[in-house]
Formats: sequence, structure tokens, C-alpha cells
Amino acid sequence: MADAQKKATVNRREFVRTQVPRAERASSVVILVLILGIGTLIAIKGKHFDPNLFAVRTEALKSTMDAVAGKSGTAASSPGENPGNIAATKNPGGEESAPAEDGGEKPAAAPKPALKKEPLEISLDGTKPMGDTEFYNSDNLYEKIDGRAPAYQGFNILQLRCRSFGVNGAPGSYVDLYEYRFDTPIDAFGMYSLERDPKGKALAFVADGYSGEMGYYYRQGAVYVQIIASDMKPETLAKAKSIADIRAKDLPVDDTGLAGRRKLPAEGMVADSVAYVLDNAQGQASLKDVFQAKYKYDGSEVPFFIMVAPPDDAARAWQSFQDFCGKFGKAEVLTDVNGGKIFRAQVFGKWKVVYQRDGELGGAFDVDNADKARAFIEKYLRGEIK
Amino acid sequence: MRASNHKEPAVNRREFLVRIGIAGALIAGSGLAAKKLWQPNHFVPGFEKTEGAQLRSYALEASKVLPSLAIAHGTKHEKTFRATMAALGGMGRFIQKGDVVMIKPNVAFDRPPALAATTHPDALRAVAKLCFEAGASKVIVADNPINSPTGCFFKSGLTSVASEMNLDLLYPETNSFSPLSLDGEILKEWTFFSTPFKKATKVIGLAPCKDHNLCHASMTTKNWYGLLGGRRNQFHQHIHSIVSDFALMMKPTLVILDGINVLMSNGPTGGRLSDVKPMNTIVAGTDMVAVDAYGYSHLLERDIAELTYLHKAQERGLGKLNWKDTIYKEVTV
Repeated sequence: MADAQKKATVNRREFVRTQVPRAERASSVVILVLILGIGTLIAIKGKHFDPNLFAVRTEALKSTMDAVAGKSGTAASSPGENPGNIAATKNPGGEESAPAEDGGEKPAAAPKPALKKEPLEISLDGTKPMGDTEFYNSDNLYEKIDGRAPAYQGFNILQLRCRSFGVNGAPGSYVDLYEYRFDTPIDAFGMYSLERDPKGKALAFVADGYSGEMGYYYRQGAVYVQIIASDMKPETLAKAKSIADIRAKDLPVDDTGLAGRRKLPAEGMVADSVAYVLDNAQGQASLKDVFQAKYKYDGSEVPFFIMVAPPDDAARAWQSFQDFCGKFGKAEVLTDVNGGKIFRAQVFGKWKVVYQRDGELGGAFDVDNADKARAFIEKYLRGEIK
Repeated sequence: MRASNHKEPAVNRREFLVRIGIAGALIAGSGLAAKKLWQPNHFVPGFEKTEGAQLRSYALEASKVLPSLAIAHGTKHEKTFRATMAALGGMGRFIQKGDVVMIKPNVAFDRPPALAATTHPDALRAVAKLCFEAGASKVIVADNPINSPTGCFFKSGLTSVASEMNLDLLYPETNSFSPLSLDGEILKEWTFFSTPFKKATKVIGLAPCKDHNLCHASMTTKNWYGLLGGRRNQFHQHIHSIVSDFALMMKPTLVILDGINVLMSNGPTGGRLSDVKPMNTIVAGTDMVAVDAYGYSHLLERDIAELTYLHKAQERGLGKLNWKDTIYKEVTV
């Protein structure tokens, strides 16, 4: 056996290297160069770590979203809808209506469509953009405002776009423009209200807005705008004012769902007191989309709320509220004023005076002095408080 | 069958072994080189297996005589900082000749200084000046804002101070990070802005005092959040735990809380001067829990009972919540 193996080794055929054709050699060189090139590219790419590498790409979920749209527990998606107008939904009749005001159930929250990235362009003499427009969505908003982001997410923010504009001839001076777009004007109003400066001076060119010592802040449609000057130099503040004007003119006015807000009288209003209550206002299931504010009246502070709804719904809510007050306190119907039905009630030691006129229901609440509350409501119904 | 009948000399055993050896060495060398190049730059939080480094302590030995906390009231940054440090025994107690000092400001946002959302340039100027006067050979300034670092440093006014005082401003770059290991409540293994610590012999935290939407307040303990890399916002869900972990992670030489102007509301970004209140106070000390406890109760004027992360830190023996239990000195400029 061993001899046989030895013999086989001895008789092994001599190794002969075959000549490799030139084409084959060239191909090998090309392959080696490619391998080196790919390796180099991988190494270079690897040196630039992308923190978003493992982030969820919401656009990748679009096919899933389409597949389940309209199925159990899922709202129908409407990809072609203009995101800027998503606060107003089309009803079967084709008319635009605010879901909050029709008294019906709101549809389940639809998946948020991605907004277009339109740069913020301002044509204003004496200013120059300091860089490109920055865009953030709800998921990466923290990259701009970090720990403040959850407050905005709580109001369904869709997009932040922002840009800085340098003031020509004033090195170091600039104006920052932030536009936070929310899903509805109500949500934009909610966030605006949360951050409102109680000492701010009301702006004439927008419905909800004020100026502070270093900037301008307002809500226009579903957008909450912040324009912040880098310093208090007159030229910087003047540019901030101009940018505020320009953006207010460019942004579309949309007060969908804010009818109640528009009805709140301005006279005597405590500046930072406006609040929005989505539902169950005053502990009443029928009081939805309520706006309330405090008013200075006859030496006292009167909390006042208002809701706008279809007249039948408003009448039912008024009756239901009166029944509730009668059950837990003492309620009394008063004489009508200028087409408005009124009741007053004392519940848990505090007075309420509540009226309903057509599609408007409102009243004073948590007041110590019933006569003052009644006088306030009667004056309001007569149009003497505007 | 063969492509060619050309004959080349046979390869002998020696040559064969040499070739095998060269090929093997090349393969092994490539593998080692790839590993060396790949690992530091591909640290993906949550996917790593390598144990990170731990930060050394930069703290001085506690004194039984000198104060560990100083509070100074004044309106001007430099004068008030000087008074604070004098009350602590002088900057020379903390910084010696030749020291390389790393100052960690809070530059999280691209806000102007007046809005008090970031470390004020006058505060950085004053502290850097005191460090140089004490003999520091170099002052490094570093932070890792999530937003564009150059924009944040520029708009907060710190770039101009760094340039004016010849400070080493270190912006975070991809290779500035390395893994950090910690036995924290939440923080275990994470990527960390490590470059500034490679040269630093002393570390000073210089934080503004401000309201914070999620954890009530951002002061000297929360300031170290800015050293983490990666998608650190995921810690927001356990914000009190992670902030208390910073008291374990960092053992700085000194922490300073700038309460000359305090962001009282709408923090941590602010955006309005009406959110800012002049409190005209600087607090400095070696115990960040004690410094923050003073800041929360006396500068933000809130009830310390609600500041969970400080309670957590105290429970773990990382500082004293009752700042009056420390040796402290209060002065007015």
C-alpha cells in the first residue's frame, strides 16, 4: 500500500503553468481595481456615519398605509389632498365644512401626509438669507428644538420650516423666521396660546398675534409663526416687523374651527387668558370646541365661554346644561335678552349665567357675584360688549 | 483541452510556501486593517458589543474647610463670577499652571444670547479669563448640539468669544465620538463626544439656568446631555433617569450655574424676552446636585420636591439635595 502511494508520488505529472491570455490578465486587473475601488468607497462612506441610517422612513410605509386605508379602525387616506387645507374636509355634498362645527363625530386621525419642502423666500431690501431653509417634521423636530418638540407634537405639528436672514450692514444682526405648520388652525392656535406672552402687544395685521420686545408671534391659518430678532437694535427690529408683515400677507387666512374664538369679545379681555377646550367643557359632554377667556368687568374678573354649533345642537346643549345645574344646584330661567335665552344657576357655591342664541351658546361661569355675571351676559347679548 | 501548450517552469515547494505565506499575510492584514478602520466609525448605539471607555474623574479631593458651594449676587457677569470663585477659594484652587481646561457650555440651540436659552457669551468670557489667570495653558470649548453646531455657536455668540480669547472651539465631527460604558439607570453603552476629554486635565460645566418642557429644569446636571451622540432624543422618555445618570457619568472639576438672566418659561428654547427674568446670581460648586437644588428653588423659584432627577441622584449618593448641608458661602457684589 505504502509502495503504491510512493510510486504514485514519484510518477506525479509535472506541474505546468498555462500561459494566461492577455484578455484574461486584463480582466483580472480590472476586477482587482474594482474590488479596491469598492473597498475604498465603503471605507470612505463608513467614515461618515449617518444618524438617520436606522430611522423609520415614513414614506416607506405608504404602501402599507394604502393597503389598510378604510379598513377596520383605519381612516381613509387621501394622498392627493393638499396638506395645507387638511383642516377642512369635504363632505358628501362637496361643500367644505369643519368637522368640529357640524356636531358630528370627527373622523379618526388620518396618517399625516408629507408636506412639500418649499423654501422660505423673502424679498426684502436690506436682508440676505444666511443659509438654506431648514425643514423638520414631527419625527425629527427635536433636531431643531430638542426638548421643546414634545409640546409641539402634542398639537399635531406637521412641519417646521425656518430660515435666518442677515441684516445688511449690521454684522451679527439677523432675524430668525420659524413657521410651524399644524394639522388644523385650532391646533396652531393651541400651541400659539400655550406660548403666548401675557405682556405682548396685539398685532393689527393678524387675528391672533402679538409683538414682544424682540419679535413677532402670530397664528395665520394652520401656521404658528415666530419671527425673532437677534438683538434690539432698531434696524433689526424693523426688519423683523417687515418680515412679519410679508409672511402674514403670504400665508392664507384659515379660521376653520375657530368660529368661537372670533365671537369672543375683545373689550375687557385679559390678554393671556384665551383657552381652547376640545370637549367636555364645563363638564358637559355636549360642549365641544369651546373657547373661553377672562374679562375685566366692573372691578371683577368674569370667566366667559363660547361655543358655535348648529342651532338645534346649541339649544339641546343649553337645555342639558340647565338640567345638569338644576340637578346639582339651583337653576332659574331669566328673561330673554335680544333673542337670547338665559338661565342662571348656583352650583357648588359658584354662579353660572348661560345663554343660547341661534347657533351660539355661551356664558359666565365660576363667578361669585351673580348680578355682575348676569349684567355682563345681558350687555354682551345687547351688543354693548364687543 | 488546454488554452495553451506554453510551458512555464514548475513551482517548487519553497516558492509555493512563500506564495501561500504572502497571500495569507495579505488576507490577515486586510482583515485587521478593516477591523481597525471600521469599528470606531461604525458605532451604532444598541448594536455594539464592544465595551466603551469610562470617563475618569476630574474632581478635586473634597475639602473639609473650604466651601463646596458659592453663591454670588450681582448684575455683571465678570464681577459676579470673580466673587463666586473668590468665595470658593479662588480659581487657583481648581486650575493649576499648565492645565488644559475643557469648558462645557450649553449651546443646544441657535438662539441669540438675550433669550437665555444658551450659555451667555459674557459667562464664557469670564470663566475662560479666570482659567487663564489661574495658569491654564489652554481652554477648550465643546458641545454637541443636535442642530448645526456652527450655527448654534455662532448665534449664541460663543464663536466670537472663542475667537477673541483664542479658545479651542471643538465642533463635533464623526470621529469625535467613541463608546462610553456606564452602570447608569438608563445609560449603559452609548456613543460619547470624547475628543475634548483626550487633552483636558480639568473640566468645568458652565450652564444657563432655564425651564425645561420635559424635565422641569435644565441646569448643570442636564448640561452634560450635550456630550451624548446618536439619536439621544430616545432618552426623553426616561428623562429624569438619564439626567440623574449624568451625575454618575461626569465627575467635573467644577460646575457653574449662570443665573444672571433665567429662562423662566417656554424652555428649553424660549423665544421671547418675556420668558426671561433677571435673577442676578451665579452659583458654583463641586456638587452639581447641590448647585442645581439651589438653582431650582431660588432661581427658577420652584418646589424642589418635583425635580425627580435630583432626588434620584441624591438617592444614589451622587450629591446633596439640601445645599445647606454643604459648606457654602453667599456673597453680594
